[in-house]
Amino acid sequence: MSKRNLAVGVVVWGALVSGNALAQSEAPDKDEYYNDRYCMTCHGADGMGSEGINAPRLAGMEEWYLKRQLENFRAGIRGTHEMDLQGREMRPMAMPLTDAGIADLLEWIGGWEYKPTEITLAGDASAGRSLYAACAACHGDAAQGNEALGAPALAGQNDWYLVTQLKNFKAGYRGSHADDKFGAQMVPMAGALADQAAIENVVSYINTLGR
Amino acid sequence: MSQSVSRREFMNLLGATFGTGALIRLGSALSMMPAVAALSRPVLAAPAPGAGKVVVLGAGISGLTVAWELTKAGYDVTVLESSNRAGGRVMTVRSGDVVDEIGNRQVCEWDNEPHMYFNAGAARIPSTHRNLLSYCKELKVDLEVFINESKTAWVQDDAMLDGKPIRNAELSTNVRGFLGELFAKSFTSAQLDEPFTESESEAIMGLISQFGDLDEDMLYKGSSRAGYVSGGFIDHGVQKDMIAFKHFMKSRMLSLTFTANEGETGPMLMQPVGGMDRVPAGFTRALGDRVKYETPVMSVKVKESNVEVVYLRDGAPQTIVADYCFNCIPAHFMSGIEHNFPAEYVHAMKYIRRGEAMKAAFQAKERFWEKEEIYGGISWVNSPIRQLWYPSHGIHKDKGVILAAYDFGGGMNFTRMTQEQRIEMLLAQGEKVHPNYRQLVEKPITIAWHRMNHMLGCAARWGRSGGGMTMEEEALFATLQQPALGRHYLIGDQMSYHGAWQESAILSAHWALADMDQRVRSAAA
Repeated sequence: MSKRNLAVGVVVWGALVSGNALAQSEAPDKDEYYNDRYCMTCHGADGMGSEGINAPRLAGMEEWYLKRQLENFRAGIRGTHEMDLQGREMRPMAMPLTDAGIADLLEWIGGWEYKPTEITLAGDASAGRSLYAACAACHGDAAQGNEALGAPALAGQNDWYLVTQLKNFKAGYRGSHADDKFGAQMVPMAGALADQAAIENVVSYINTLGR
Repeated sequence: MSQSVSRREFMNLLGATFGTGALIRLGSALSMMPAVAALSRPVLAAPAPGAGKVVVLGAGISGLTVAWELTKAGYDVTVLESSNRAGGRVMTVRSGDVVDEIGNRQVCEWDNEPHMYFNAGAARIPSTHRNLLSYCKELKVDLEVFINESKTAWVQDDAMLDGKPIRNAELSTNVRGFLGELFAKSFTSAQLDEPFTESESEAIMGLISQFGDLDEDMLYKGSSRAGYVSGGFIDHGVQKDMIAFKHFMKSRMLSLTFTANEGETGPMLMQPVGGMDRVPAGFTRALGDRVKYETPVMSVKVKESNVEVVYLRDGAPQTIVADYCFNCIPAHFMSGIEHNFPAEYVHAMKYIRRGEAMKAAFQAKERFWEKEEIYGGISWVNSPIRQLWYPSHGIHKDKGVILAAYDFGGGMNFTRMTQEQRIEMLLAQGEKVHPNYRQLVEKPITIAWHRMNHMLGCAARWGRSGGGMTMEEEALFATLQQPALGRHYLIGDQMSYHGAWQESAILSAHWALADMDQRVRSAAA
C-alpha cells in the first residue's frame, strides 16, 4: 500500500477540527501529507527504537501485541498513570487512531527490517538466568513470546525499555488499570524482582538470548 | 522605614537585587550573556576537483548556514530536511498553517493578514548577534524594531497586591524608591568604608536620589515616574500614591523589573518584517533546489573516504555519498537513526536532554492592549504562562496576535495537558492581567516543542546541575564538537554553550566549516 493512498489520518482529524479548518489543512500549497504514520519520529528509523526519546523498538514486535498496546493506549488502559512518564507521551499519539488507522500502522510496521539491538546493560546475566525461570513460563525459554498466553517476545527488545517497564510494573505504574488483564499478571512477577540490580540482571540475561 | 538596616543586610540586599547570579536564574532568556561574537565567517578554500560533495542533514539555521557558505565556495551541497519546511525551531504560524504536534494537530484559522502571525520559536534578534544580522543583510531579510519592554505593561503575582496587576513602571518606581532610601541610609552611616571627599559624597548622594527619585531628606514618598492618576498636561497632574515596599515583599518577580531588559534581551532587539521564518526563507531562496523536503534520514555511515547517508523519498530509500556531512538533526533523534559513530561520540550525544519550552498565541478580536496604553512589550505573570507578549507590529490595525504564554523552562506543565486543558489555563491566567481577556481572544495555537513532529524537544539541555556546564559536561561537549571520523559534524545551537539563539547555531556552523576547511587545505597541501 503506498503512503500516498492513505486518507486515514484526515478522517480521524476531521472529528477534532472544524470543517473549515479541515479544508485549509488539505490546501495543496501546504504540500504535506498527513496521516497517522508518525511512529518513526520517536521510535526511530524502521522502528529500531530510540533511547534519546525513550521510545522502544517496534520492528520485529508481534502484530497482535502492538495492536493490543495501541488499543490500550487509546482506551487509557495504559499511559494514564501519573508516574508512567513515557506511557503518557505515547497516549496522545494513540488517542486519535481509528481501528482502520491501527490496522494500517500494523501493516506498515510489519514491513520494517529488523536489525539487532544495541546492548546498553552490563548486569550479571548468570544471576539473571535463574531469575528468568519465572518469566520463561509465559515468555518462553528463548524469550520468543507466546501469543496464546498474551506474552510478547522479549528477546531483541531494547534492554533499557525492558528495565523501565519492569520498574513500572513493579511500582504499579503499569498494569494497575482495572481493564489491563495481561498487565495485571506482570505486576506480581515484576514485584518478585528484589531491586534494580535484579531487574538489570534478568534483562542482561534476556540480552544473551539474541534474536 | 524607621528600622535601621545593617551594613551586612544592605550588602546582601544589593547582591540579591543586582547580583548576576540572581539574574542568571531568571530563565533561559537571560541565562548567559556572552561577549559579542566577532564576525566569524570562515574564508573557505574551493574544493579539490571531485571532492566537493557535502550532505547537510536538517534545514535548521546551522544547516542552512553551512549549505550557503559551501555553495558560495563552490561545493556541491544537498540539504535533507525531514519536514515540509526549513527553519527548525525558527517557525512562524499564520493563517492556514498546520501545527504538527504529534497527537494534537492544529490548524491556524487566524485572519489572513501580513501582521497576523506568531513566532513560535525564535522571536528576537539582539543587535549584538552580528553574524545573524550579517546574513539578514546579505539575504535581504528586512528587519524592524522589536519592543521587548513596555513600562505600561503589567506585572501580576498572586503573592502581591492581592493578585491585582500593577504597571511595570509603577512597580519598578516604588521598588527603586525603597532601594534608594536604603542606599542613602547605608551610605550616610557607613560610607561603604571608602574615604570620599565631600564633593564625591554629594555626587553619590545625588545619584542615589535620582535612582530612587527621593526627596531632599533622602526619603521616597512616591514619584511621577509611576504615572499620574489623572491630568498633567493642561492642568495639574495628580500623582499616584506611593506603595510601600511591604506590599511587594512576597513577590519573587521584583528583580525582573530591572533585569528583564538587560543583556541579550535589552535594546536593541529586532525581528524580520512579516515573521522570523523570513530568515530561513532568505537562505532557501538562495539555495534553491539544493534543499530537499520530506526526506527523513534513516542511516548515516562515516567511512574512510566518504559519508554514506540513506534517506527516504516518497517512502523509498535513497542513498547519497558525500565527502563531508554536517548534521543539525536534534541529537536525541540520532539514537533512532542507524549510524556507526564512535562509542565516546555516542556517549556524549546521549547525554543531551530534550528542552521543554512551550509557547502559545491567540488571535485578539481587537488590540485591547492599545486601549491600556500598551504598544509592544511583555507583561509578566507569576504563573505557568509566565509572559504575555504584545506585538510590536501592526499597530492600530483592527486585530493582532497576542503571545499567550512563554514557558521557557519546565514547559511540561502545558505539554502534558490536552489542548482543551491548555486553552483553559491560558485563559484563566491571562484574565488575571486583562479582566475580559476570555472574551477578547480566540483561535488558540499552542506549540509544545517537546511534542512537535520532527523536533520533539526545544533547545538542547547540556547542563544538569542547574547552573552552567560542569567540567565533565564540557568534556562531553568537546568530544561531540570534533567531527566523527573526521567527516561528520554535529552542529546547531545544540553544539553551543548558549542554546536557543540563532546566533549560536550560526557560530556552531562556522566552527565546523573552519575545521573542515583546515582539513581540506591540509589534504591539498
